[in-house]
Amino acid sequence: MTALEAVATYLPDHRVPLEELAGELDLTPMQVRLFRRFHKLSDVCRAPGATPLDLLLAAASNLDELPAVRHRVRYVLWARTFPVVVPYPLNPLDTMCRLLGLDRAVAFTVTHHACATGLLAIDVAGRLLAGSPPDSLALVVAGEKAFTYDARVVPETSVFGEGASACLVRHEGPRDRLLAYATNQRGDFDDEVTTDIGRFQEEFQASLMGAVLSAVERAGLALDDIALVLPHNVNIVAWQRLCRRIGYPVDRVLLDNVPLTAHVFCADAFVNYRTARARGLLRPGDRYLVVAAGAGRGATFSAMVFQH
Amino acid sequence: MEQLDTDLRPRVVDSIRTLLPRVLRKEMPEPTEQSRLMEDLGMSSSSTLELMLELEEDLALQIDVEDIDRDDFATVGTLADFVVRHLIPEE
Repeated sequence: MTALEAVATYLPDHRVPLEELAGELDLTPMQVRLFRRFHKLSDVCRAPGATPLDLLLAAASNLDELPAVRHRVRYVLWARTFPVVVPYPLNPLDTMCRLLGLDRAVAFTVTHHACATGLLAIDVAGRLLAGSPPDSLALVVAGEKAFTYDARVVPETSVFGEGASACLVRHEGPRDRLLAYATNQRGDFDDEVTTDIGRFQEEFQASLMGAVLSAVERAGLALDDIALVLPHNVNIVAWQRLCRRIGYPVDRVLLDNVPLTAHVFCADAFVNYRTARARGLLRPGDRYLVVAAGAGRGATFSAMVFQH
Repeated sequence: MEQLDTDLRPRVVDSIRTLLPRVLRKEMPEPTEQSRLMEDLGMSSSSTLELMLELEEDLALQIDVEDIDRDDFATVGTLADFVVRHLIPEE
C-alpha cells in the first residue's frame, strides 16, 4: 500500500499583498475586494528571480531524509499544473536530479491533471514502486513559477503563489498510507478558460463532491470517519459551499494557508500536510482526505484518503 | 418560498434590480422579483458575490454569505430573502 515516507516544502519569505498584484493580474478594485472579502485571499507567495529549478531544489533540500536514502530513489516525478514551463532544451528536473545525486533514477514529468496532478503523481509513483525492489523510493516534487497570465490567476476563482514541495513515496510504509484514490475527469471543459463560468462553477462543485465521496467510499469509510481535509488553496468560499453540500464541518478543512500563500499549483496538498503536522492536527490512525482540482484543457477533480 | 415582511426587504429588492445591469455589465429590461438570476440573466456564483459586495455598499450593511446556496440565488426575490436573513449585526 503506497505510503508517504517524508514531506518537505519550500515557501519563499516574500509575500505580496493582493492589491500590489492587481495591475499584473488585470484585477479591478472590485475583483480585489471580492477576493479578499469572500475568497479570503490576501498575500501571495512570490520568489522573484528564482527559477523553477531553484524552487524544486529548495524543497528537496528541506527533505532531511533524502541524503541518507538517495541511492534508493528509483523514480523522480515532477507533478505539474502546466505542461510546458521552460523553453526547450532546458530541463530543470534533469538538472535537479544531477545536483541531488539522483542520476540513476528514472525522472519524468506528470501533467494533464492540472492542479490535481500532485495526487496523480503519488498514484503513479505507488504503481511503479509496486513492481520495484521493496526498499525502493520515489521522489515526487511539485512547484512552478507564476510565469504567464494563465499561471498567475484563475479568473473569478484564485491567484497562484510560488513555492514547492518534495515528497518521498514508498510502496509499503507505516504511516500516511494511501487507502483510496478517486479522480473525476471532465473532458467537456476542454477550453483553456471556459466561456460559461456559471455552468463551470456549478459543475465544479458537483464533480469535486463526486471525487470526494468516491474516495471515501473506496476507502470503506464514511465522511464522519475523516478527521481532517487537506484542500487545495484555491479559495475559502468554494470550500464553504462544498462542505455544506456534502455535510462536512468546514472547521475540519485546513484553510489556514489560503490567505498566506494563495494557490501553490500542485504543491498545495503537501504545504497543507506540513501545516497539519506542525499544528498537531494528525494523530496516529487518523484518516484524512487530500483534495485537489484543476482546470485547463479539461478539468480534473481528485481526492485521496490516507491514514496517518 | 416564505417572503419576509420587513422594511428592509423592499429596499434590498430595489437595490438588486438597480445593481444588476452594473454587475452583469450589460443593458437589460428592468428585472422583476421573479427574474431568474442564472437562467434568465446569466449570473454566476462569482457575480452573485460581486452583487453582495455592491449591495453591502449601497445599503450600508454586511451580509454573511457562508450559507448561500444555489437555491438562494434562484431569483431576485429569493436572493433578497437570503440577504434579509443573513445580515451581520453591526459591532
